[in-house]
Amino acid sequence: MSAAAPTPNGPVLTTEHLSVVAKKRRLLSDINLEFAPRSLTAVVGPSGCGKTTFVRSLNRMTELTPGLKVTGAVKYLGQDIYNPAVNPVLVRRRIGMVFQRPTVFPMSVFENAAFGLRLIHEDENEIDRAVTDALTRSGLWDEVKNDLDQPALSLSGGQQQRLCFARALAVRPRVLLMDEPTSALDPAATQRVEATMERLKQEIVLVLVTHNVGQAARVSDRVAFLHTGRLIEVGATADILERPREVLTEQFITGRFG
Amino acid sequence: MAISLPPTAPVPDEHLLFDRSARTRWRIGFDRWVGRLLPLLFLVALVPIIDLVYFITVRAAPVLSVGNLTNTNPYANLNGNAMGVALAGTFYVMAIATAVAVLLGLFGGIATAEFLSERSAGWIRMTANMLAGTPSVVVGYFGYFAFVVYFGWGYSMIAGAITLAFFMVPYTFRTVDLAYSSIPRQIREAALGSGARPYQYILKIGTPIAFPQVLTGVFLAMAIGIGETAPIVLTTHTSLLLPSSVYSGVTFLTYLIYTGYSNAPGNNGLNQAFQAAFLIVVIVIALNIAVRIIAARYRKRLEGLFQ
Repeated sequence: MSAAAPTPNGPVLTTEHLSVVAKKRRLLSDINLEFAPRSLTAVVGPSGCGKTTFVRSLNRMTELTPGLKVTGAVKYLGQDIYNPAVNPVLVRRRIGMVFQRPTVFPMSVFENAAFGLRLIHEDENEIDRAVTDALTRSGLWDEVKNDLDQPALSLSGGQQQRLCFARALAVRPRVLLMDEPTSALDPAATQRVEATMERLKQEIVLVLVTHNVGQAARVSDRVAFLHTGRLIEVGATADILERPREVLTEQFITGRFG
Repeated sequence: MAISLPPTAPVPDEHLLFDRSARTRWRIGFDRWVGRLLPLLFLVALVPIIDLVYFITVRAAPVLSVGNLTNTNPYANLNGNAMGVALAGTFYVMAIATAVAVLLGLFGGIATAEFLSERSAGWIRMTANMLAGTPSVVVGYFGYFAFVVYFGWGYSMIAGAITLAFFMVPYTFRTVDLAYSSIPRQIREAALGSGARPYQYILKIGTPIAFPQVLTGVFLAMAIGIGETAPIVLTTHTSLLLPSSVYSGVTFLTYLIYTGYSNAPGNNGLNQAFQAAFLIVVIVIALNIAVRIIAARYRKRLEGLFQ
């Protein structure tokens, strides 16, 4: 693959004519987007518009759903992640993901955070350091530092979700995809997760799928509006939310559908 | 049957929450009687089991002793006292059969749940169900012709064990398949999304979650296997001596029950049959209790996962 040397401020992730087709239905049509370093892009749109499919196609999670066909390219630092020579396991280590519902594993808090590191056989000291670091970055450290051996399933929903952030962050991904990470959480927990996002966007590329325009307004730098699998409009958060160019966008953000 | 409906309505008719119609009275009465009847039906269902265990225990108790269990003397065996040879034979056959059934069930179940397409998985599940529904005597004849005759192993421990494993595989396979497929999809995606390879997901996440269910399936399969008679009669036949190799003939507990009623003279055969029946009942009950204990212990650890 011809990888252009990535420039420090060039996009980390680019989609080129990205389309996803299910058996009979077109889920995404011709999406072209660039994700700059240290940014948070919110992907918004009504239910069924393809937000989740879009974000899952960015680290080949679409492959886990039988019957989906992806065309076009998703380039990570110039390399197409759909190139047959690419190892999807490496893709998912560079481009992490957090899901709608907390998905902690039935093991201790420490082992959950260390899961990704154990897969790549880091040594114990390195794992200890990385787990501490990841839990700090996810904003959970102060709440669990006294008992890292407690079962992760005994944490509250919001804590579990931040543990999922820590698990994803521990392998030091350059991109973190988030698929409605607060939709199963109460307002207080949502606030803490949003604070985590605010901190993380100083370091890595964040892509946030949300059905909540308010959340997009609070945390994102940029909003992409999807409708029936098409990218209708993308721009700085303030521009999209206050001065949308498209009628559909305006109708959506003012709550007329969705 | 006194149904206490309030005598006078405290509210105007349009806010009334009950009526005094015959239909309402009948419904309340019916509900009450069904509620009383169901526990009674449960007791009725319990009667044959209790009767069976009681009958076997009463007949086995006078002849059973600890000495009998360890007695492997062939002459005592002929007299209907010694159970040592049959116990040892049952242990060996069950050990080999369980090993084969667990191995096949584990690999087959994981492959079906994790790797195969829906289509091939469906075919394999159907095949397993058909195998589970095959009459035991048919599988017994298959074992006889395949292992005893064609492979030339004769009536032997190994022929019996592999034939018995055919009965146990559908149960181990089904529970393994079910255990791995019932792990929430999100857990699998989270593991793979963290950069786990499929085998790493299976070893590190899937297996600890599925383990209690898998163990339940293994014990269930053992409980099924230890009660089989026809395939044993046709493949191991019987022996008065302890086996010296896997090609030796062995005596299985159920064989003693079969011959006890069919062709043993006097009370000797019957005594042995009741002892064997008692031992099988004890083993099956023990296996079921073990399953309960294991399931309860692990349920707590996985609480909150399957929400």
